[in-house]
Amino acid sequence: MESVVEKWTTKVNTITLGATKQMGGTREKTVTVGGSSTLPYLNFEGAWPNPPAIAIEMWDREPDGWPEPLADAYADVWKDPAKWAKRAVEYGAEMLCVTLKGTHPDFGNRSPDEAAGVVKDVLKAVGVPLIIWGSGDFNKDNDVMPRVSEAAKGENCLLGTAVEKNYKTLTASCLADGHKIIGESPLDINIAKQVNILISEMGFKLEDIVIFPATGALGYGMEYSYSIMERGRTAGLSGDRMLAQPVICTVGQESWRVKEARGSEKDFPTWGDLKKRGPLWEATCAATLMQAGGEIVVMRHPDAVKSFKSLLREFTA
Amino acid sequence: MAQYKVTFLPEGKAVIATSEDTLLDAARLAGVYVSSLCGGDMICGKCRVVVKEGQVFEEQHMLLSREEVRSGYALACASHPRSDVVVEIPIESRMEGKQIVVDEDAQRFSGLAKVDLAKYEFEHAPLIEKIYLEIPPPSLEDSLSDLSRLFRAIRTHVDVPIMQTGLKNIRRLPQILRRGDWNITCTLGQRGGTVEVIEIEEGDTSNRNYGVAIDVGTTTVVVHLIDLKASRILATDATYNSQITFGEDVITRLIYAKEEVGGRERLHEAIIGNINMMINNTTAAAGVNLQHVTCALCAGNTTMMHFLLDLDSSNIRREPYIPAATNVPPVRAVEVGIQINPRGLLYGVPGVSSYVGGDITSGVLASGIYRAPELSMLIDVGTNGEIVIGNNEWLVCCSASAGPAFEGGEVKFGMRATHGAIERVKVLEGGELVETVVIANEKPRGICGSGLIDIISELRHVGVIDRTAKFAEPGYCSRLRRTDDGIEFVLAYADDTAIGRDIVLTQPDIDNLIRSKAAVFAGASVLIKSVNLRFSDLERVYIAGGFGNYLDLHGAIAIGLLPDVPLEKVKFIGNSSLNGAKLAILSREASLELENIAQKMTYIDLSSNLKFMEEYSSAMFLPHTNLELFPSVT
Repeated sequence: MESVVEKWTTKVNTITLGATKQMGGTREKTVTVGGSSTLPYLNFEGAWPNPPAIAIEMWDREPDGWPEPLADAYADVWKDPAKWAKRAVEYGAEMLCVTLKGTHPDFGNRSPDEAAGVVKDVLKAVGVPLIIWGSGDFNKDNDVMPRVSEAAKGENCLLGTAVEKNYKTLTASCLADGHKIIGESPLDINIAKQVNILISEMGFKLEDIVIFPATGALGYGMEYSYSIMERGRTAGLSGDRMLAQPVICTVGQESWRVKEARGSEKDFPTWGDLKKRGPLWEATCAATLMQAGGEIVVMRHPDAVKSFKSLLREFTA
Repeated sequence: MAQYKVTFLPEGKAVIATSEDTLLDAARLAGVYVSSLCGGDMICGKCRVVVKEGQVFEEQHMLLSREEVRSGYALACASHPRSDVVVEIPIESRMEGKQIVVDEDAQRFSGLAKVDLAKYEFEHAPLIEKIYLEIPPPSLEDSLSDLSRLFRAIRTHVDVPIMQTGLKNIRRLPQILRRGDWNITCTLGQRGGTVEVIEIEEGDTSNRNYGVAIDVGTTTVVVHLIDLKASRILATDATYNSQITFGEDVITRLIYAKEEVGGRERLHEAIIGNINMMINNTTAAAGVNLQHVTCALCAGNTTMMHFLLDLDSSNIRREPYIPAATNVPPVRAVEVGIQINPRGLLYGVPGVSSYVGGDITSGVLASGIYRAPELSMLIDVGTNGEIVIGNNEWLVCCSASAGPAFEGGEVKFGMRATHGAIERVKVLEGGELVETVVIANEKPRGICGSGLIDIISELRHVGVIDRTAKFAEPGYCSRLRRTDDGIEFVLAYADDTAIGRDIVLTQPDIDNLIRSKAAVFAGASVLIKSVNLRFSDLERVYIAGGFGNYLDLHGAIAIGLLPDVPLEKVKFIGNSSLNGAKLAILSREASLELENIAQKMTYIDLSSNLKFMEEYSSAMFLPHTNLELFPSVT
């Protein structure tokens, strides 16, 4: 029987993160994502050359309120970013996502210099490419990110996020220091395009942008993320250059906010072992969003990373 | 309840008001105009007045700055008298006597214009006709009654199956026939399939046959007095719709009609007052006796027609949006209060739905898109942006709620296309230099729709706003500055204005304009996709609306209000509603065509259309999120 094959006109952009010595950086290896000419896992339809890459999230400060399973994995190192970074790589991170939470005015208000110091320490400690994520406070990010960008100059990091109302400073920094950029949009395909247009009109290459469409956790709006990602991807494969970018998902952050993942056994005795439940929730969320067309997944728990990886192996074998 | 005297300056009109009344109520009582967009809901902040003497109690609001409060400013809708007060209405809250550039014809052809029906291929046969009859007198052999004799005589001239006339005419008939020695003039009016003998006069008066074509706009009302026999426009007049004091847009007025005791009557009286005043002005100017005006034809949106005819409008704004009538048969004009010949008839141009009225049917007639083989689009930019697409085989239409921004509403220094309005803008040198053209060459008081289109396109061009229509940082140019309310762009400095204040454009102003243009474009987009076509398939695009005499088509495309079609395909046709009404009053053929058009048009409801919101948010960008739709701009 002949199978019905969808033919797309264009491909998702290919993006390589990290720079080795030869490329002017200090990374031991680079990570390449994107490049597919079809929807995920449909190898019979087209090329799907680069499977999704897993980044593990770490903070520049000790997190508060991370539930027990995460504390078990990181509590002994999370006061020291360099140690945390090494631990994450041991857990299988292909990239690290350094979240500069501590620079937020409400979460420590650390200085741009301190943030740059953290990034330098992490770069020294590990050899994987970095994603560097601002605190989300526009004014503070506009102070911090240029310094951080400069500190990581030449390392070909992925910096985020540029949003519709605040994209100029970050775009200028990434241009100056040779980084890639994350364009963020709140579950809105129009705004995703608009952010990409705004960034590219500053002279930034469309091929160097990653889309962050905002992530919803399993049970908490994941279907919105899924349909927006899928719509964006099909548009990108159908010739819309403004939507042909790889997509990043913050699965760890969102999954570990929901009570199904973090609620204690005492509060929810019928839900089973928290140590299994949380990681399972995170892995399921990751697997689903990768199906919608995600290329980079930012995760937290080592067990979730492990099970998602084995799933990927099965699917890509 | 305490009563106080409220005196308004500069008119000096005084009125007695209670402590419950607001100063805006008092102004209405006194017949003094105070600008108000929200109709007194303490939302728009336009009814600024200065309390010169006496005490008022002012309800809490955030619409005036501390400085303004200190210098005596108050909002009329929020202030209640607590003693006798003297209130000054500052220039920005006043109404100019008249709009000067309402209609091209009104200016250019006043008293001279001839409507060229041949151009539209319509036969000259007015809705009301006067025929001179020399009737053979009765004899013993020919002993028909006077009325039958009259009808027989009429039928020898025109083919009329069913005829009727009023009792009063029959009572007068024997005398008139004999006094005129059986030579009389008969006025015949079309009432659907029947013909009514409206008037019988002795002798030959068939040269004195007049009618008025009326455009009943939400904002402006225009009257043209027409010699029906000679197809000639004798006089024109235009005024604001006085209903504006009860709310700027149709929805506010619909609510007023429903919620306020006596609201519906006041709205009705306001528009009838406007029309009667203008009929008087035009007949006086042309030396025409009101008795010889036997016909009025009105084109207006469905809501305006409801107010005009005093119909129950309360279901228009509620799902499923059902009007009392869209196609009202001719009625006696005097029944609704319009003062022409007491037996004269009032016709309304048929509409399609609650939100696509006779003004659009009329526009379709005037633009001729319903009989051209090529695919055309008509966009009427008003508070509702109405759009029609089609050709001689089919027509689809929709109405997008655009808001009053392009008519000056919801814009801090917005105003209509009248004296002192900035109508053209050029921004140079990175935003440092602003060149403006002001209507009537006065010092500016504000900016009107065409100026607003220009300024958005110009600010984008020099980079003062980005594609999301957000201002750059202050410091980008000296005219861009930060105030307590956010960033604003100075269009004209206080010294160069007529109001002694800087005329500025604020971020909320721009946001409102972007929403308006997005609504119009999204409507057009949904409509063209509903018939599986693309803008590039259009052969003609007609733009109608009250932009005055000037509209920069390139700017309108640059901001994404109009689709990016070659400029030679686009034509600005001014007040198409009135032009259609003039054709219909002069030609029964054209007026029948109006009914065909109304029936032929398929209405696409946007409020229930799932794609509209998607199209709308794509259009909230300059010019559009899908840049490839605007190749000439990007």
